[in-house]
Amino acid sequence: MSNWIPLWVHKLSSPPNFYRFAGVVRPWALGLALLLGAVALYGGLVLAPADYQQGDAYRIIFIHVPCAWMGLFVYGVMAIASFISLVWRIKLAEVVAMESAPIGAAFTFITLVTGSLWGKPMWGTWWTWDARLTSELVLLFLYLGVIGLYHSFEDRRQGARAAAFLAIIGIINVPIVHFSVNWWNTLHQGSTVRILGPSRISGDMLWPLLTMMFATKFYYLASLFGRVRTDLLAMESGKDWVRQIAQGRAAVPEQEARR
Amino acid sequence: MTALSADAPLLLEARALSFYRQDEPVFGPLDFRLHAGEVALVEGDNGSGKTTLLRILAGLLHIDEGSLDWRGQPWRREEHLGDTLFLGHHLGLKADLSARENLTVAAGLYGTRPGHTVDGVLTDIGLAGYEDEPARRLSAGQKKRAALARLLLLPATLWLLDEPYANLDRSGIELVNRLLAEHAAEGGAALVTSHGAVSFLNGEPKRVRMHA
Amino acid sequence: MSHPPLAAACAAMLRRDLTLAWRRRGDIVMPVLYALIVITLFPFALGPEEALLQRIAGGAVLVTMLLAMLLALDAMFRSDIEDGSLEQLMLSPQPLALMLGMKILAHWITTALPLIVIAPLLAGMLHLPTPVMPVLVYALLLATPLLSLLGAVLVALTAGTRRSGMLLALMLLPLCVPVVIFAAGAVAAAQQGLPWLAPIAWLGAALVMALVLAPLACAAALRIALDA
Repeated sequence: MSNWIPLWVHKLSSPPNFYRFAGVVRPWALGLALLLGAVALYGGLVLAPADYQQGDAYRIIFIHVPCAWMGLFVYGVMAIASFISLVWRIKLAEVVAMESAPIGAAFTFITLVTGSLWGKPMWGTWWTWDARLTSELVLLFLYLGVIGLYHSFEDRRQGARAAAFLAIIGIINVPIVHFSVNWWNTLHQGSTVRILGPSRISGDMLWPLLTMMFATKFYYLASLFGRVRTDLLAMESGKDWVRQIAQGRAAVPEQEARR
Repeated sequence: MTALSADAPLLLEARALSFYRQDEPVFGPLDFRLHAGEVALVEGDNGSGKTTLLRILAGLLHIDEGSLDWRGQPWRREEHLGDTLFLGHHLGLKADLSARENLTVAAGLYGTRPGHTVDGVLTDIGLAGYEDEPARRLSAGQKKRAALARLLLLPATLWLLDEPYANLDRSGIELVNRLLAEHAAEGGAALVTSHGAVSFLNGEPKRVRMHA
Repeated sequence: MSHPPLAAACAAMLRRDLTLAWRRRGDIVMPVLYALIVITLFPFALGPEEALLQRIAGGAVLVTMLLAMLLALDAMFRSDIEDGSLEQLMLSPQPLALMLGMKILAHWITTALPLIVIAPLLAGMLHLPTPVMPVLVYALLLATPLLSLLGAVLVALTAGTRRSGMLLALMLLPLCVPVVIFAAGAVAAAQQGLPWLAPIAWLGAALVMALVLAPLACAAALRIALDA
């Protein structure tokens, strides 16, 4: 391990320490996610005014846009964790990368579904080969490739490392896809409907959007930590600290029975 | 066989070498040393990690724990390449190529020992008359011999032989023993695994025991 | 210890793979036949109307080529892993990336080149105008090596798994989207009488990048997938 990595990072990255840390953080993150999500939905669905062009249909952006952001954000986290796992062979980084993938895929999938629902009243069709939607679809395939590769290995750690490599190839690919899809769109004169002009968004609409963005971030944190904890237990099942936890759990009902 | 002259240079030194698969220990901690001119028999039950050990030493698997020194320096794959020959369960022969073509490719990648040619080696190994036969049509023992021909042709200090005696007849076993003896006499070293230790080597070899 | 010169090693690798492919020439014909069958199906599915077929000709030929190459891609390292010769290659004192580059070159020569040769025929079956043919061939000459290089990296990543052609397709799709866009874009532009040099140039630039990076990535991927 290099010297420049701060000691606390090194300590935290040991599975038992992270297991405990994630256990403490998870309920708080989940609570914050639910609270902020509720506030954002109230702000977006009730308080924000209807759009003069799109009426109430636009309100789906309070789900759609934060999910689209998260689709990319989670991919970024996954790629960084992948890089760390390949360079330093840190088990925790492998787990974080691989457990991020299904969450990111879910966010991307929600983005596609909500985009499609939104497209029906706006464009009159469920699906259009719009540059952003197409890029989003490719992103979903990138996620599915990572997940598929991870699960096709018998050895989990080996699978994680191979999938991590694929995730890094993917992050190089994302801007290339975006650029090429834009070029393709201009070539084929496809639908150039711009629903959300950059300047049109008003403060009433913005704050629920930003609140929802934080809600999704906290939800990701909570979901990730829950998954990582399960994974760490499974991966380290032979180690002492897992045995202690298992015995501790087994001991609790006995004590209750005694009472 | 065990030409243990005190001044023979130390080639390989393993200290507390361990390997895990899915966090389950496969073997180790394992300590052993190998000097130039030594041939060591790796002993252990099925599943004790003999093949895994050879694959680690070849550079096909990474080291989980412990340390490995090669000629007194920490082992590094890049420096190790070409100085080691590995003969695994899969012989590394292309079934559609003849023994001669297979050897020619190996020589192109690894180079040849001075004074050895592809045809000479094939004759020496007992495949005269079969040089141009596709490897697919050779018998299991002949395939093994074609793979063993690499040991004779390619230059390397350390041989890692996984089950070299399997599928061989009596003369084939003697051939392996002869190759090992010549290699040791030239200052090379070898690690050999074998299930049936019955026909193994002349004299009493050094032993590396895996903790099963 | 002196190792054999790099050029000799490269030549040995290339010759080995080409000889192997020649000994199994039947396999070379397969992707070509596959492409022919797929292209034949288009008029049956869409009707023989010339204007319609002309419109889709470039894209249909490109996608067919891609699928035909995908079919052959899976076999790139399989036999070498099964008979242990990949281990021997990885342990040889030669730069692995360069040796893999030779393998990819041999694979391109034996699978993509025959496809490019029959591409004008396939495009002709769909009534692609003759003046556009050279652009299609240029596009294929740049796009197919790109696909071989990118595909090799992904095949290397799946080297340690039980074979799954679908997984390979899933992994390759995001990577080949830009290749297909620019290659088909060039043909479409030429067909509309627009300048087609820009997308061809982009493909060329991408190919140069891939020529340098893909063999290195392929070597790294192989070491990860086989855990070395």
